[in-house]
Amino acid sequence: MTANFDAFFKDIEGKLGANAVNRAEETLVRYGENTMPGGDRRPAGVVYPKSTADVQAIVRSANAHRVPLYPVSTGNNIGLGSRSASTAGQVIVDLGRDMNRIVEINDRLAYAVVEPGVTYQAMHDELVRRGNHLMVDVTSGPPQGGMIGNALDKGAGYTPYFDHFGFACGMEVVLGNGEVLRTGDGSLDHDTLVNWHTSKYSFGPILDGLFTQSNYGIVTRMGIWLMPRPPAVQSFHFTFPDDDDLEEVIELCRPLKLSNFVPTLFRVANDLYLCASEGESPEAKSGKALSRDARIALRNKFGLGAWNISGAFYGASEAAIAPMIQRVRDHFCKSGKASYIDHNAAQAVPAFQVAINAFSGKPSLGELGLLKWRPGGGNIWFTPGTPMDGKIANEFQKLGRKIFEDHGLDYTVMNVCGPRFARGLHVITFNRQDEDECRRADACYRAMAAEVAKRGVFVGRAPLDYHDMHFAQTMPAFRQACSGIKQALDPNGIIAPGRYGIA
Amino acid sequence: MQTHFSEAQLRDPALVEAKGIIETCVHYGFCTNTCPTYVLTRDENESPRGRIDLIREMLEAGGAPKPATVAHLDSCLSCLSCMTTCAVKVDYVHLIDRARVHIERHYRRDMMDRGLRALLAFVLPRPRLFALMMRAGRMAKPFAPLLGARLGAMLAMIPARTAPDILGSQVFPAEGAKRHRVALLAGCAQQALNGDINAATIRLLRRHGCEVVIAPGAGCCGSLTLHMGREDDARRAARANVAAWRDAGALDAVIVNASGCGTTVKDYGHLLGDADAKCIGALTRDVSEFLLGIGFAPPTPLPPYRVAYHDPCSMQHGQHVIEQPRALLRAAGFEVVDVPERHFCCGSAGTYNLLQPAMAAQLGARKAGHIASTDPDIVATANIGCMTQIAHHLGCPVVHIVELLDWASGGPRPPALAGVSLREPQLQTTTAPAADAGFW
Repeated sequence: MTANFDAFFKDIEGKLGANAVNRAEETLVRYGENTMPGGDRRPAGVVYPKSTADVQAIVRSANAHRVPLYPVSTGNNIGLGSRSASTAGQVIVDLGRDMNRIVEINDRLAYAVVEPGVTYQAMHDELVRRGNHLMVDVTSGPPQGGMIGNALDKGAGYTPYFDHFGFACGMEVVLGNGEVLRTGDGSLDHDTLVNWHTSKYSFGPILDGLFTQSNYGIVTRMGIWLMPRPPAVQSFHFTFPDDDDLEEVIELCRPLKLSNFVPTLFRVANDLYLCASEGESPEAKSGKALSRDARIALRNKFGLGAWNISGAFYGASEAAIAPMIQRVRDHFCKSGKASYIDHNAAQAVPAFQVAINAFSGKPSLGELGLLKWRPGGGNIWFTPGTPMDGKIANEFQKLGRKIFEDHGLDYTVMNVCGPRFARGLHVITFNRQDEDECRRADACYRAMAAEVAKRGVFVGRAPLDYHDMHFAQTMPAFRQACSGIKQALDPNGIIAPGRYGIA
Repeated sequence: MQTHFSEAQLRDPALVEAKGIIETCVHYGFCTNTCPTYVLTRDENESPRGRIDLIREMLEAGGAPKPATVAHLDSCLSCLSCMTTCAVKVDYVHLIDRARVHIERHYRRDMMDRGLRALLAFVLPRPRLFALMMRAGRMAKPFAPLLGARLGAMLAMIPARTAPDILGSQVFPAEGAKRHRVALLAGCAQQALNGDINAATIRLLRRHGCEVVIAPGAGCCGSLTLHMGREDDARRAARANVAAWRDAGALDAVIVNASGCGTTVKDYGHLLGDADAKCIGALTRDVSEFLLGIGFAPPTPLPPYRVAYHDPCSMQHGQHVIEQPRALLRAAGFEVVDVPERHFCCGSAGTYNLLQPAMAAQLGARKAGHIASTDPDIVATANIGCMTQIAHHLGCPVVHIVELLDWASGGPRPPALAGVSLREPQLQTTTAPAADAGFW
C-alpha cells in the first residue's frame, strides 16, 4: 500500500483543524534544511499536535494512510540533523509549537514533568521565578533546545545530573500503533500515580530505553529530576601547553571522578574548541587544516592552552569550597605543566564562562560561536568515546588529529570526562556551499568512524547522514532485535523510518 | 545564503553591505526560536531567516516589492533577539533597516497607511505637538470604535496619566564638586509622555557630581523615522544631534535614558559614516552603564521591595546592557526578580504597537502575564516605549529605573507610584537555605 498524503492531511485538518497542517512552500524548504554534507530532505508537510490525544490521532491516521512521520520537539540538534527527517517525503510532527507546557514542578521532591516543546531556557526561567531553589542540568548548546528531545537523543550536561536520560523518570509515549504507554511506575493501571516521576525501577522491564535514539514511539511527556541549587558554585580551570599532555590530564581527572570528589564532569577542551567560539578561522580558505603557528597564536591571544580543563564544586559558601579547590589545584599542578585559572579570572574569559554557566545550570549561547569557525554553515558532530586511560585517550587524540588534518579540517574536540569514560565531542565545521569541502567533511567523518571502530570504539549521538552507516556497524543480533521491536510496536513502520538506521 | 546582484546594483554601497550581510546567513535557524513573530505564527516568512530571504529577493529584483513581502517585513519588531541568538552573528539590524528604506522609496502603501505613517513620523519627534495630539486623542477616546482597528488601538495606547515636561537647552550644575560633564539626550516622545524620567535622571546625575548639559539643537535621535524607512529624516536628526554635542564643549559622555534611542545614537557612526558621528557613538552610554561606571552607592538603601525588571530589547539585544540595571537596583536596596522569557519583546518596539496593533497586543499580554507571575511590588524598565506598552497591558504603573535609583539616593518617590501601596518587604535571609532546598 502506498502513502496517501492528501487523504492524511485532509484527515488531520478535519480532526485537528486547518491550523494543524502546514504545507506552505517555504515551510517545506526550511523544515528540510540541515547542516549535513548530504543535502536537505524536503518533507511532505508539517503537522502540529496540541495534546497526546492529537498525537494519537496523527499516528492512527498515518497508519491508515501509510504516511511516514518524523517527530521533532524543538528541532535544535544542529549538527545532528536539525528538523530534517531521515528521508525526504516524511511528515514532520512538530511537537514544540503547541505541546510546550511545564505540566508540573514538584519543589519538594525536585522534579518536573514537561512536554516536548519545553526548552532549557523555559525551565530555567520558571525555576528562577519560583525562587531559584532548584536548577536544571543544561547542555552548553542552544538554550532553546528541548529537554525531552535532548534526553531521548542521549544528550548530556555537566553537573551531577548530567545524564539527561539517566535523570529522566517516567514517560508517556504514543506507540506506532496509536496506543499510549506509560513507563516505570506509571505502568500501574490506575488514575492516581504517586511514583511515576520518582521511581525509575519498579515492576517489570525498563522500557524507557527503547525510546532513545530510536523510532518506536513518540514521547509526549517525561519526568526530569532537578538538582537543588547550591548557595555557591566555584569553578576551577587549568591549561596544559602541549597536545600530548592529554595523557597526563586524563590520568589526573580519573581519580577525582572515581571517588566523586569533584561533583561535575570535567570539560577537557582542546585549543580550537574554545578559540573557535570566539572567532573565525584565519585560514578558512586555505583548503588545509589551520597551521600550527596560527593555532598557537590563537591560544596566546585567548590565554588558553593545548588542553583546557574545567570543573566545579558546589557548597554552602565560597569559603567552604576553597579547601577542595586547593586540593584539586595541588593535584593538577604537581607535574609543573598545568597553569591554574581561578573562578573569578575565568569569568572574564568567554570560553570558560560557558563552562561556568553550564556548571551553574544556566543556559547560554557562547558555545554556538563554534559554528562560525568556517563559513558556509556545514556542521557535523562525531561523538566517539575513550576509556579514562591516559595512554588510550592520547592515542585517539593523535589518530583523530591526523585524520582531520589529512582532510584539510581543523581538529576541534572536547572530551567530557566521567570516572571511567570520556565522550569526545568532535566538531567538523565546513563550508556547505563548497563541494570539495563537503566531500572532505563527509570523508573525514567516515574515516574517523571506520578507524575508531577498528579499535573497538563506537559513537554516541550520530548525525542524520550516518545513521545507516553506524547501524550497519552493529552486530547482526542487535539489528535483528531492533527490527523485531519495530515490528512489534510500529508494525506499519510509520514513525521515523530510518532513524538511527531502524527501518 | 547565495546572492545574485547585478554589477550595476553593486555600484551602490548600500547594496554591497546588504549582500555581505545576506551571505553570512547559513540558515541554522536558531533565530526562529527566539523571534516573537515566528513563535506566535510558525510562519517561516515571519522569521528572521525567512525575512532575510525575502529581503534578498526584494533587493535583487529592485523596484516595487510584493505586498506580501512588505507585510512580512512590516511585522518585524526589530527587537534584535535574533541577533543575540544567531550563531554566525548576521548583522540583521542593518539589513532590515536597508529593506525598510527600499520599501519606503519603492512601494506605494494604501492611503490610510501612508497617512498614518506620515502623521507618526511628523508628530512623534516633536514633543510639544505630540503632547497636544495626546490631549486631543484623549477627548476622541469615546469614538475609538468608530475609527477602525488601527486608529482605535492608537487611541487606546494613550496613557491615562502623562506628565509632559519639555526641557529647553540649559546646563544643570553638579551638586558639590564637579567630577563629570555629560550631555543628556532629552528625547522627543518621552518628554511628552513622561517628564519624570528626565527629571529623575538629572537629579541623579547632579547628585553624582555631573554637570548635565541639554545641548541647544539636540532633539529626536532619529530612531523612530529610521525604523520606518525614512532614512533621510533620520540622518537629518542624527546630524543635528552630532553637531549639537560636538559644539557643547568637552563631554565625558552622552547619556541616553531611553534605550531605543541609545541603540541608534551608539550607531550614529554607521548611519552617518563620518568621524564626528563615530566619536559621538563611542561617547554614548545608557544612563545605567554610566552610573555603574562612576559608582552608585546610596547611603541608606530603600527597603528590599520586589522589583520585576523588564529588559527592553534595545537594551539587551541592541546594546547588550543587561547586568548594569540589575546591579544598580540591588545597590539601591531592591530585590530584583527576572521576568521569564526575558529575551522576548513586549510588543512596543518604537511605533510597532501603533502600526501593528494585533501582534503587539498578543506580545503585550504575554509579557504582562510573565511579569505578573513574578508577584512584584514594583515593575521597572529602561525605555519609555516598554513602560507605556507594559503599563497598558498590566494595568498598573511601570517606572523607569532612574526613578527608583533617584528615590533610593534621596530623590522623591516616583510620581507614578503615588498612592500605590507597597507591601512590607520580607526580611532577606542570605545564608539559610530554603526549607526544601538541598543540604550543603
